[in-house]
Amino acid sequence: MHDRLLLGKYYPSKSILHRLDPRTKFILLILLMVTLLIPRTVFPILLLLFGSAGLIIISKIPLKEILSSLRSILFILVFAFLINLFSGKGTLLLDLGILKIRQDGLLNAILMSIRLILLVLDTTLFLTLTTTPLQLSHGLENLLKPLSVIRFPAHEIAMMMSIALRFVPTLLEETDRIMKAQSSRGANYDTGGFFKKAKGYISIIVPLFISCFRRADELANAMEARCYHGGTGRTKLNELKYTTLDLIFSIIFITCCAITLFAHYQMPNLL
Amino acid sequence: MRMPFSKEQILKQEQSFIYAESASHPESEDSLILIDGVSFAYSVSGEGSSNVVALKNVSLKINKGSHIAILGRNGSGKSTLAKLINALEIPDQGKVIVFGHDTSDNSTLWSIRQACGMVFQNPDNQIVGTTVEEDIAFGPENLGIPSTEIRHRVDQSLLRVGLEQYAVKAPSQLSGGQKQKLAIAGILAMQPACIILDEATSMLDPKSAKDFLKLIKELQQEFSLTIIEITHDIENAILADYIYIMQQGEIFFSGTPREVFTRPDKVLAAGLDLPQHLYINYLFQKSFSHGALEILHEKYPNDIFTPEETVDSMFELNNIANPKMIAVSTAKYNSSNQTLISVDNLSYTYQKGTKFAVDALQEVSFQVNQGEMIAIVGHSGSGKSTLISHLNGLIVPQTGQVKIMNLNTRNKKDVREIRKFLGLLFQYPEHQLFENTVYEDIAFGPKQFGFSESVIEKNVKQAIDIVGLPQDILQRSPFELSGGQQRRVAIAGVLAMDCEIFVLDEPAAGLDPIGQQEILNYIMHLRELNKTVILVTHDMKLAARADRILVLNQGFVTAYDTAANIFSNQKLLTAAGLEVPPAYKFVSLINKKFSSAITGYTAEDVNYNLLKYLSNRRQPNA
Repeated sequence: MHDRLLLGKYYPSKSILHRLDPRTKFILLILLMVTLLIPRTVFPILLLLFGSAGLIIISKIPLKEILSSLRSILFILVFAFLINLFSGKGTLLLDLGILKIRQDGLLNAILMSIRLILLVLDTTLFLTLTTTPLQLSHGLENLLKPLSVIRFPAHEIAMMMSIALRFVPTLLEETDRIMKAQSSRGANYDTGGFFKKAKGYISIIVPLFISCFRRADELANAMEARCYHGGTGRTKLNELKYTTLDLIFSIIFITCCAITLFAHYQMPNLL
Repeated sequence: MRMPFSKEQILKQEQSFIYAESASHPESEDSLILIDGVSFAYSVSGEGSSNVVALKNVSLKINKGSHIAILGRNGSGKSTLAKLINALEIPDQGKVIVFGHDTSDNSTLWSIRQACGMVFQNPDNQIVGTTVEEDIAFGPENLGIPSTEIRHRVDQSLLRVGLEQYAVKAPSQLSGGQKQKLAIAGILAMQPACIILDEATSMLDPKSAKDFLKLIKELQQEFSLTIIEITHDIENAILADYIYIMQQGEIFFSGTPREVFTRPDKVLAAGLDLPQHLYINYLFQKSFSHGALEILHEKYPNDIFTPEETVDSMFELNNIANPKMIAVSTAKYNSSNQTLISVDNLSYTYQKGTKFAVDALQEVSFQVNQGEMIAIVGHSGSGKSTLISHLNGLIVPQTGQVKIMNLNTRNKKDVREIRKFLGLLFQYPEHQLFENTVYEDIAFGPKQFGFSESVIEKNVKQAIDIVGLPQDILQRSPFELSGGQQRRVAIAGVLAMDCEIFVLDEPAAGLDPIGQQEILNYIMHLRELNKTVILVTHDMKLAARADRILVLNQGFVTAYDTAANIFSNQKLLTAAGLEVPPAYKFVSLINKKFSSAITGYTAEDVNYNLLKYLSNRRQPNA
């Protein structure tokens, strides 16, 4: 259970995607998002579809695992599909009274859905499935470092993220313990009137808060005792390193995106 | 907030520190931790904003490579002292010099903290890293040590404390004992000269604590570390080179363990325990006249410290004069044959059906009669918490039955009734306080169970009396109180429910000896009221007072019997990772010396049984 909590939806493997530097993945993902958002015609989107399929193959993650991320956006997906379906011009395909499905609408609805699906799939593939939260926070810290010139607290944010991550299991355990203790004293969470239930929850939340403050205080002491003094002069056990793999993958990836964008701008009439 | 330092500065400091260390010779200041006339007060913000004095004019000198123990009641200033050595706090008056560096000097701050690693009480609240190896690396990372060197140190430290197979695991997967070892590994990676243990074993079970202290002892010899140990564990403090006893912010007295513990009156006056054999001797001597003791002192001028010396002197004393028999309260608590709790073939598996499945309880069956006191013992992870969570329906049995009176925990309606009937107090219950006033917090339970206003008021007042707190505390916020007071409020909260059965999970954990004694008094009070008590504990002294002891080992009940039968079964104890009570260890020495055949598991029992034996021996017909 704790592994699950620590790693989120991380799927352990040694694929190319797993071995990429998190910073590479961040940057390439941004590029990919832009590429996904611009084209509205069939051909570039088909290219993106094939590209994403390629990514899924090299990630060596079972399709089921990847597709499960779509469950959370199912509602938005259906909604976007319907909105697009019933708007647009072109040949009338189906007349349902006020709602009319036209050729353009149908096409747009399909393309829109594909883009949305790809957006979610590629993001989970790059970030959650192949990158541990720890790598993510390291990567983010590193990318945001230049911003410390304008006093952006990159190190602090990354440190907060990793401490939060570290304490999730501890606080879950604590919540369970407090809930049991208060239940033993007759607290109610699922029966009784609104007031009784609210009181029940207060009896968990207050001790939990107080415990968080106490932990924060003690942790601050422990960190200072181990010479913590912010990000200045700090080194890392696992320094992030760009490898040849990052370089080659980036070149291929950027080329693919460029081709897609080229197809969109230069051959708008193809398909 | 202190000024941040550049990487170069820190590295330079570290080098200069190492240099200073190697150049030091025994009597120079560099080889000492020197605390000179230190006073310290915490400023309290809020109403009145008064200062709380924590230390008053404390001076002490710790030689490099020595092992010192600091003892004292909760709130006597021990932890503050530790923080001063680590430069987490700076003295208001006086100086703290750590291996030649003044803690008030900002420029050597990191050298001091690198040299003095600190292990805190709560294993959870000192782990920073998301994985075990990241956590060990945290200190070296802060010192700006190059990655390859950090990797080397992390691997070495992991190996040294024996956590190598956990390197990339989440800290939450470690047991309490392993977490404390992780803390040690994190300190080792900083190449320290001194380790400060701030009640580092107080949240561990005895076996883990023993392992941990064994590791510390090994490391001390291996790296000639200075060990500063803040503890309540007297049996371990004996092993230190020197002991400081603190009281109300001052050093009450100090000396080698022999010097300290041969003055039992003073140790007891500081609110501390004596090692059990010395306490038995202390009780034994009370049965003799002042004259007899003086003769003993002349005939036997040696200090009495080791168990052998103790038993010899007791034997000698008995030859000098006849002890007078002590009156002992022979209050036998009545238990009836009415079965209150009946656990039948109970098994429970966490995450059942997944690959993470853990068997917590296996075919557990036992019964508890009305008025009995039962102790549940077993090392961490043996299933104790899971078992007691079943007793009031917090966990519904997967297989088997739990019946309280004739109520079944499988039945949702019964559960509410059971909770009214069976009060369950978890470990560190002070962490469950949440109301605005102490009164409301204690009244929370009774209110939930629909007691009338007048009954609640009566119960709250009775409960606060039992736990020995003044009535005027009722209107204060529970969060203003000290830790010990909070514990008592939480206990009062369960007492006020006026249950028939009380299940107490480590009620004395983390308290100082006087606090522990008070908890024992509450339990005895409950027994006088003819309540049924189930006590989960690691403390064999406490367990020995129960009518029956239930031994859990890896989810199985391996024994359910009287203290006498359990503590005489060494095989059973070893298998369950348990020890006999320290007083019982001393009994065999007594029996050998006096050719007696007494038993006893608490100091009082041993003393009483010995006196009874001696008196019977004198007048065989009486």
